[in-house]
Amino acid sequence: MKKKRIASKILWVLSILTLIFLWAPMILIIVFSFSNNKYGSSWEGFTLKWYVKLFTNDQVRDALMRSLIIAGVTVVVATLIGTLTAYGLYKLNFKGKQFLRTSILLPIVFPSVVTGSALLVFFTRLVHIPLGYTSIIIAHIVFCSPLAVFIILGRMQRFDWSWEEAALDLGATPFRTFLRVTGPQLLPAIMASAMLIFPWSFDDFVITYFVAGVGSTTLPIYVFSQLRFGATPVINTIGTLFVSITMLGMVLVYFVQKMGKSNT
Amino acid sequence: MRAMDEISVSQSQAQKREKRKLALNIAAYLCPIIIIVVVFVFAPLAIILFFSFLKSGPYGQIVYTFTFENIGAILGGGYGKIFLQSIYLAFQTNLLCILFGYPIAYYITRFGGKWKTLWIFLIIVPSWSSYLIRLYALKTLVGTKGTVNTLLMNLGIISEPIQILYTNFAVTMALVFAWLPFMILPIYAALDGLDRSVLEAATDLGATPFRRFFRVTLPLTRGGLLAGSILVFIPTVGEWLVPSIFGGSKIMMAGSLVAHKFTAVGNIPQGSSLAIMLAAMLVLILYLTIKWGGREALEKAL
Repeated sequence: MKKKRIASKILWVLSILTLIFLWAPMILIIVFSFSNNKYGSSWEGFTLKWYVKLFTNDQVRDALMRSLIIAGVTVVVATLIGTLTAYGLYKLNFKGKQFLRTSILLPIVFPSVVTGSALLVFFTRLVHIPLGYTSIIIAHIVFCSPLAVFIILGRMQRFDWSWEEAALDLGATPFRTFLRVTGPQLLPAIMASAMLIFPWSFDDFVITYFVAGVGSTTLPIYVFSQLRFGATPVINTIGTLFVSITMLGMVLVYFVQKMGKSNT
Repeated sequence: MRAMDEISVSQSQAQKREKRKLALNIAAYLCPIIIIVVVFVFAPLAIILFFSFLKSGPYGQIVYTFTFENIGAILGGGYGKIFLQSIYLAFQTNLLCILFGYPIAYYITRFGGKWKTLWIFLIIVPSWSSYLIRLYALKTLVGTKGTVNTLLMNLGIISEPIQILYTNFAVTMALVFAWLPFMILPIYAALDGLDRSVLEAATDLGATPFRRFFRVTLPLTRGGLLAGSILVFIPTVGEWLVPSIFGGSKIMMAGSLVAHKFTAVGNIPQGSSLAIMLAAMLVLILYLTIKWGGREALEKAL
């Protein structure tokens, strides 16, 4: 028993150290975002002026709006495609299904530089889609849809399908069945996937950088362009907001999933 | 005779109807994803495969002459070395992630108790926060004028800042920092799904805790290790930001080489050939991992 307690103590210390390693840099920039130091790299008394600067910076506001629009459109389209695809993959059996499943995974399996460069060449050399909103949104849908497919598919596999059968047996049309029975049951999974896709799309830098072209600065691209000039307090404030919003989103997903579990 | 004919005719009609219904359903549900896969995944891959056999002119234009030059530069030349170095770095990162990730995953499963959800939350949040911002934060910590150096200098432990950035150590640390959560979570899932009675049986049969861990726990969580390794290894090989932020111009990886050719040099044929080789290499590694590691173990983990 004593041995076990020592083992658990050692493990605890290791775990705490790992957690510190993962969190220390983030906590640091959160602290520095309230610091008076103009390089944002040490503590010199409390201030909110960087936040004021952030919210009055036109470049940041434009980039933020662009990122929000892109992520918003991506979430809606990718979740819709993901739901349809997951339903089709679950319900239908046909030749080449395994091949399709594997192909869908490709955009997540390939490193971002491969997906990004392939799409860039495709847009500029083959189909001549102007680089900007259109190319970015298409690229985001391409790498976000697979995520939606597999989140929703995972949920469908642990699903009570007898409700749907009952509705169909009782004479409801397939459309009405989906709208009134299957859809509401899937809603927690659909919402969870939407909430996970949003940060994926919003945070993406690599693929976006490849297909953005000139003038379509999203928030991550703005942050990257600022990094070349070294640390700035404004990036600290952006980082702080990113982490807080992610945490908020995570808590939200947690409760949505909990709600979904207690419903079924 | 005639009756049987009629039955078979109506059967084949029913089959036909079923088939048509299936085709219609496939069209209805899977059309969007098939368009995405064919138009936006396969076609772009095909076009960069085509471009890898072309040449680049002096002004970055594409010269339509067939050549094996680009592929040769990777298989036999200096780019091959960078590819090997990336695999080495990714392998090292993967091992370190297992080394740091397993204890914490084990601790959470066995001793997490009522704090389990909080622990998992604290590991998931970094994995979903902006990747770029996290790297920037780490750079703030370890940079030449970073917090670690400032602190050590103020305490009088060192008189000159330690050069951490632009070393192999910095790149490895940043890679582990970026990808560790993606190793911890699958291992945790595997450990959490472990049947406790198997472990009790091992103890009852006289296994020491040490032996029990290596003979029972570790083999049973192989799927989690495998899933984590895939999630860590593959993006690491294709990493662009970590080597460019933490390695400067000194340490190149396969991913940063691709990005460099496209965004800085503008040599599309060379960039395409590097991207295609990188993709092919990773698909091969993935295939071998799944084949040797066992598909079942992996599917259970995912």
